[in-house]
Amino acid sequence: MIKRLVLGEAGIGVALVVLAGFFVIAAPNFATEQNLRNIMTQITLNTVLAVGMTFVILVGGIDLSVGSAMALCAVVSGTMMAGSHSAVTLLGAILVSVLVGGVVGWINGFVSEQWRVPSFIVTLAMLNVARGAAERYTDAATIYNLPAALNDFGTLTLLGVPAVFWVALLLAGIGWFVLSRTVFGRLIYATGNNEEAVRLSGHKTSRIKIAAFMIAGLTVGIAAVLYMARLNIASPILGQGYELNAIAAVVIGGASLMGGRGSMAGTFLGACLLGVLTNGLLLMGVSDFERQIITGLVILVAVVLDAYRLRLARKLAVTQPAKEPVPATVAS
Amino acid sequence: MNKKIVAVAGLALALTACGKEGGTTAEPAAAPKPGEKPGVCLVMKSLANEFFQQMQKGAEEHAAKRGDLTLSVVGIQNETDIDNQVAAVEKCVTQQAKAIVIAPADSRALVAPLKRAVDAGVKVVNIDVQLEEGAMKAAGIGDKVPFVGPDNREGAKQSGMELVKAVGKDAEVVILEGNPGAANAAQRKAGFEDAIKEGGLKLVDSKTAHWETNEAHTVFSNMLTAHPNIKGVLAGNDNMALGALKAIDEQGKKGQIKVASFDNIPAIAQYVKDGSVVATLDQYGAQQAANGIDYAMKMVGGENFSGWQKTEIKLITKDNLG
Repeated sequence: MIKRLVLGEAGIGVALVVLAGFFVIAAPNFATEQNLRNIMTQITLNTVLAVGMTFVILVGGIDLSVGSAMALCAVVSGTMMAGSHSAVTLLGAILVSVLVGGVVGWINGFVSEQWRVPSFIVTLAMLNVARGAAERYTDAATIYNLPAALNDFGTLTLLGVPAVFWVALLLAGIGWFVLSRTVFGRLIYATGNNEEAVRLSGHKTSRIKIAAFMIAGLTVGIAAVLYMARLNIASPILGQGYELNAIAAVVIGGASLMGGRGSMAGTFLGACLLGVLTNGLLLMGVSDFERQIITGLVILVAVVLDAYRLRLARKLAVTQPAKEPVPATVAS
Repeated sequence: MNKKIVAVAGLALALTACGKEGGTTAEPAAAPKPGEKPGVCLVMKSLANEFFQQMQKGAEEHAAKRGDLTLSVVGIQNETDIDNQVAAVEKCVTQQAKAIVIAPADSRALVAPLKRAVDAGVKVVNIDVQLEEGAMKAAGIGDKVPFVGPDNREGAKQSGMELVKAVGKDAEVVILEGNPGAANAAQRKAGFEDAIKEGGLKLVDSKTAHWETNEAHTVFSNMLTAHPNIKGVLAGNDNMALGALKAIDEQGKKGQIKVASFDNIPAIAQYVKDGSVVATLDQYGAQQAANGIDYAMKMVGGENFSGWQKTEIKLITKDNLG
């Protein structure tokens, strides 16, 4: 099974290498150190959001509220730290951002589980509530004058890699460890695959699912801080459509929206693929509209290829009498 | 949610109608008596946008200062919520407002309901985005609805000419555009292009960043990678300029690349001061609705306006920064 997973990720990896190879030839200045750094900065936010989204999608949920929630985290935290030179305030504001994200995630998970409402609807509602709250909180004004220390962190590079991207890498690493090396991670997969079985084996699946939403919320809070560090502003209208990019990264990474299948490595590669695509197309001077079309097509191709791969995997596993067409065992 | 907004709007209108001075409560929304303050309906776009928030605030203050009208403000959920804006216009007519001041969500879709308003004897003033001339003529209200607003193209040109002064002839520049399809985005782009042509700059790329800081950061970083010799940026609004400035900073080109911008939001001031933004343009957005109200009141008083009534714009540079 693990082999098959690796095979899946290898597929995305190959796609990424091919795409990058194409841009090296076709896009001017693509293969420069500065551009690599640009790509890393540009995929940071989506990577962080996609890490959290992976947990939610693995348990069979979806979180449409991440973009709006990110704006809410940013304006609450940004208002707190604006104009301040105190390190304590800065750290406090960062914590507040993560906390607000966590609370939003908890509400998403709790409401979905308590009243058995599809998370699609709950987080769609939250998308509106959080956006409205962010706008209400600031009267729709952009917050600026954020602490210089945060700004410095946003432009800092360590070993040639932007500091904000180190944070994204760290989070992806933690996510990978949790999913593949801990009991909790196994339970996440198991819940997505067969919730009933997990429940019958004595685990509270609602707790596991709520935890997944909270993890997504925490990553949203962190993404909000990274946004402020990079751009030195906090705006209540930031993050529109980010949820879709995060979902796209997870899906390109081979996850199933039915839950139970997917991986952190796949998600990370998915985010890289999207980032490299946008970057390369911009460098090639492809027009805005065409870029949108191509990005959409790439997402489509990725999921179609994935469906083929799955079918192949199922054929290989034909020794087992597969009554259920759902790929319930592929990831476990 | 949209329903909620309409409900709230309707409630606000109802309250305004009840709150008219001297009116007895027994006469719900009856035709205003002579000497009564005329009702003016301000139909806005998304109130979630800082720009429109300020506009609304400006209008309310202005109406309070004038004291000779009853203002009611109706907003919509987002800038493309055309249906609800049409409903808002119809509500204003039903509530027998004397005049409607409108920032249309769509330059064509709103023409038909506004014609019904004009036919019902309501004076209509167009602000923010200009209604399409052809559609207005076809509806027969081409000479009845004035557009009161700034010249975005001229403003962008003025801002762009400051960039010309700063970077000199033949310098490579790029444009960061607003939303594709938005009239003001197109006009600002045209104004920037006017400046580029007149100043002999070299335009190497022009892309949209959807008015947004993070996207501008991404788009401009990549432009800079593709064209390392860029010397200037023409940003359709200050939010995008902020994203470009951050990218310039990150790539260690602070001071080498200049930015011309538009809007004059508070966050841009520090960059105008330190010279990285050579100019931005104040089109007195907060005053636009107030200006519209003035015209509406003149029309209620019997005057007639049509065509474009240009409002004040002001180039903001280091020298005149407040």
